[in-house]
Amino acid sequence: MRDRRAFLKDTLLAGGLAASGVALPGLLRGACAAEGPLVVGAPLPISGAFAANGKFASLGAAFAAQEAGSVLGRKVTIADIDTEGKPAPAARKVQEAMGQGTRLFAGGILSSEALVMGKEVTKSDGVFITTAGADEITGSDCNRGTFRWTVPTFGAIAQTVRPLVEQMPQAKRWYTITPQYVFGEGLLGAAKAVFQEKGIEHVGNSYHSLAEKEFSGYLTNAIAAKPDVLLLLNFGSQSSDALRQAVSFGLKKRMAIVIAWASGLEQFEALGADLCEGVYFGAQYWHGIDSPLNKALVAKVRESAKMTPNYSFAGSYQITRLLLDAATKAGSADGPAVIKALEGLRYSGLTGDEEIRAADHQVIKDYYLLKGKAKSAMKDKDDFADVIHSGKSFLSPEAAGCKMA
Amino acid sequence: MIPFLDRPLVQFGLALAAVLILPLAMRSGTLASEILIFGLAVAACNLLLGYTGLLSFGQGIFFGLGSYVAGLGLVRAGLPAPVVLLLAPVSGALVAAAVGWVSIRRQGVYFVMLTLAFSQMFYFLAYTFSGLTGGDNGLLDIPRPSLGGTPLSGAWTYYAYVAVLFLALFAALQRVALSTFGRTLLAIRDNEGRAGAIGFPVRAFKVAAFAISGAVTAFAGALHAMLIGVAPLSNIDYHTSETLLIMTIIGGSANLFASLLGAGAYLLAADALSAIWPRWLLLLGLLLIVITLFLQRGLWGLIERAVALVTRAPPPDDPAPDRPVASPDPEAGR
Amino acid sequence: MTYLFQILNGLGLGMLYFLLAVGLSIIFGLLQFVNFAHGAFYLIGAYLAYEGVERGLSFWVAMPLAALVVAALAGLTERLLLRRVYKLPHTFHILVTVGLALVVQELVIIVWGPIGGNVAPPEELSGVLILGDFVYPEYRLFVIGFTAILAACLWWLLDRTRLGAIVRAGSESPSNMALLGYDTLRINTAVFALGAGLAGLAGALAAPIRGVEPFMGVEALGIAFVVVVIGGMGSYAGALAAGILVGVAQSLMATLWPEGARLVIYLGMAGIIMAMPRGLFGRA
Repeated sequence: MRDRRAFLKDTLLAGGLAASGVALPGLLRGACAAEGPLVVGAPLPISGAFAANGKFASLGAAFAAQEAGSVLGRKVTIADIDTEGKPAPAARKVQEAMGQGTRLFAGGILSSEALVMGKEVTKSDGVFITTAGADEITGSDCNRGTFRWTVPTFGAIAQTVRPLVEQMPQAKRWYTITPQYVFGEGLLGAAKAVFQEKGIEHVGNSYHSLAEKEFSGYLTNAIAAKPDVLLLLNFGSQSSDALRQAVSFGLKKRMAIVIAWASGLEQFEALGADLCEGVYFGAQYWHGIDSPLNKALVAKVRESAKMTPNYSFAGSYQITRLLLDAATKAGSADGPAVIKALEGLRYSGLTGDEEIRAADHQVIKDYYLLKGKAKSAMKDKDDFADVIHSGKSFLSPEAAGCKMA
Repeated sequence: MIPFLDRPLVQFGLALAAVLILPLAMRSGTLASEILIFGLAVAACNLLLGYTGLLSFGQGIFFGLGSYVAGLGLVRAGLPAPVVLLLAPVSGALVAAAVGWVSIRRQGVYFVMLTLAFSQMFYFLAYTFSGLTGGDNGLLDIPRPSLGGTPLSGAWTYYAYVAVLFLALFAALQRVALSTFGRTLLAIRDNEGRAGAIGFPVRAFKVAAFAISGAVTAFAGALHAMLIGVAPLSNIDYHTSETLLIMTIIGGSANLFASLLGAGAYLLAADALSAIWPRWLLLLGLLLIVITLFLQRGLWGLIERAVALVTRAPPPDDPAPDRPVASPDPEAGR
Repeated sequence: MTYLFQILNGLGLGMLYFLLAVGLSIIFGLLQFVNFAHGAFYLIGAYLAYEGVERGLSFWVAMPLAALVVAALAGLTERLLLRRVYKLPHTFHILVTVGLALVVQELVIIVWGPIGGNVAPPEELSGVLILGDFVYPEYRLFVIGFTAILAACLWWLLDRTRLGAIVRAGSESPSNMALLGYDTLRINTAVFALGAGLAGLAGALAAPIRGVEPFMGVEALGIAFVVVVIGGMGSYAGALAAGILVGVAQSLMATLWPEGARLVIYLGMAGIIMAMPRGLFGRA
């Protein structure tokens, strides 16, 4: 508890500093948009049910700005925009920021808010880069101004289910629990394709609504189907609730449990090591990744903020950094110039070599399979899991359904 | 009560002044548009709460419905904006009449709970029938309306469009409130038994009030979808109902301009506070508590006190929440 | 067989829902007060249990302690704030309690952070009961048993004691109570504290099942309202029956039609209000 408190105090302090750093330029924004500081909008769910993600993402963006110092001779500042986790305030506030001259945006954690913000930003020739999950962002709803760092559902399944099928050849029966919306359907469809290809028996699926918090009914269904593997395709606190309840039903002893799209360190912290031990997690990012940029980031953040960067922090850091790097490369902070610089960009990112595909604006990067460790095996308080597999799997832009206008 | 302020022309003048002042006082045309749009929806909520005495927790249903009609009409069916702005209130009126017809069979807290249940049901309906509503993603790519072939993509041009419609509907709601129908609603609110005994078809009047309220709310919902370019699931959420209700109470249910005041104060406060502190909802919560304890007539009550101070009229001393009075002379303002 | 287990599971859920809702029902019955902050007391109860366990207390100490602290906090809130609001129209009950719930939720985020946490079930109950092909966590069985005993105690308290008689009489005619010389203000505070304390206890009991996170109060409030409306506002037996009904329905729907689970529950709620406006057990 002591650690937690101290940690909290630091992050609050850092958050306060970041916020006060933002308020001033925010007031001056209108007056000197052209020649003043280079403002990057960070539209994030800072209040509302996804406040945890928003808070750390906001810190990550601020960190990237601080690290960059100034770009094109202009001081970089982050303008936090509270989307409240809802599309309506997100769209409205992004319009407002554009009205005041901001053209570069890095944020958007929920699919629904990211989709609409990408479209709004594109209308005004801005650039929006996001870490949201919906495939449509670089698929059927792709557009000129929107870029995405996160691996789509296809790759998330390919890099979790495939290696596990190979590692556990005896596990032939899989059961899935899926949230009923496009993101869940995307994961489920990809999983079914892998099952069919590998001769896996899909012994059942339970759909649940996005409002669900009680999973015991679905778990009872799963138990009745006698699977070897339970594959959880939900996200955020829903996957935490599902896992917590699955463990309390003793399922860890009866089957392997996989969360295909975990949130990262923040989720391990909420669940604790005991629950996570032996469970498989798919992840976009892990602080243990062995890449030069990641090692540097982890060292710096531990040094200055006394915390380990989690997924929300790191993802936001990376996309903010990408925007700033592209602006430097383009020699301009104008939307079209930055878009051009981002398209096809190859760079050394947090997950190693990354590349932005020009055709659909999808970042081609690794996805990770983690396995939770026992508390006794943890080297420090954040060492919850080992990376047991990683790799890149992507549909072609055509197969993803992207027709760039 | 300061009767002068409740005169219809003064009320309309205040609304007109607000519409003209917002562009001068604010930098963001989108926020200003949102204030007028919510002002309409809140006025519609006030028609039920202040004028008919019905605390409806289901206003979000009609707001979301309006957004969906806009999305389906403009994107899927390719209808022109004026047609959509006609279809939205019609469907809003129909659904509201149905919801109202069922809900008014119960009274007091049971009525509130019934509208709450409806609001949840419609949310889950919209969520389940994602083929129609886009589910969690909502209906995307909703265009702004155009005038003379040019889409109103600028924030302030769209504001002007919204402002004209807002004033027209505000005036229309005033007419409704001042008509025999509106006076009957007040009579029902004050003493339902007596109104029934006199021979008014109380239920029919309540259903009609619901229908009008639903029509205006759905109209606002459609304008909102065009503003933000999406018909999101969150517009039909229970929280939208709650927010509309809170705005209504903050403004005060004394008259229709108070509703614009409530919407404006809420949205401006939320916008300003959320930029200052991530935990701004705490301040909002405190604000609601303070209003309950000290400002039961809402912000309108505050204005009345200020006016009373200036004109040295006796300050409004009635501590009870203010309500529209049954018989202001409709000719008084002429 | 699956259905049988879904029913057992639903019973477990239902007992928790009962505990959550009965306080709301009692408060409404006596005070005619619509309490949108009820979920906030559940939230505090869960977090206090979490804090207690994190600080090394046994769950058996932390759980009742959490409930008592919540009851004390609720009593204080009633005296300082809510008491002034009773006589106002329902709109202000809603406004003040929505505000209170927001304040509590944000305070929880400030104190404990936005991420949430896990509460391990007590060591003795961390296992599972194996019945053929099925399993059921021992802790959930304990919740069923514990809540059943608690329900019996509550019944005794409300039906057989002097306090209960006063509460029941008060909910029928508050003015008579004052005439008879009872200190209604003090009774109001006690009843409010009892109702909120029960919500806090439900939160503490739910923590090992659900974990804790700052937004758990919102969901709880929704369920509590459904249970109270179906059971009948102010009715103790109604809360018990409706709690179990909603729990079992929710669990069965997970097998029958998961997408429609919530839809059916709210449809049921509307149907009950229409067919039996006072709920299953409410007094007319």
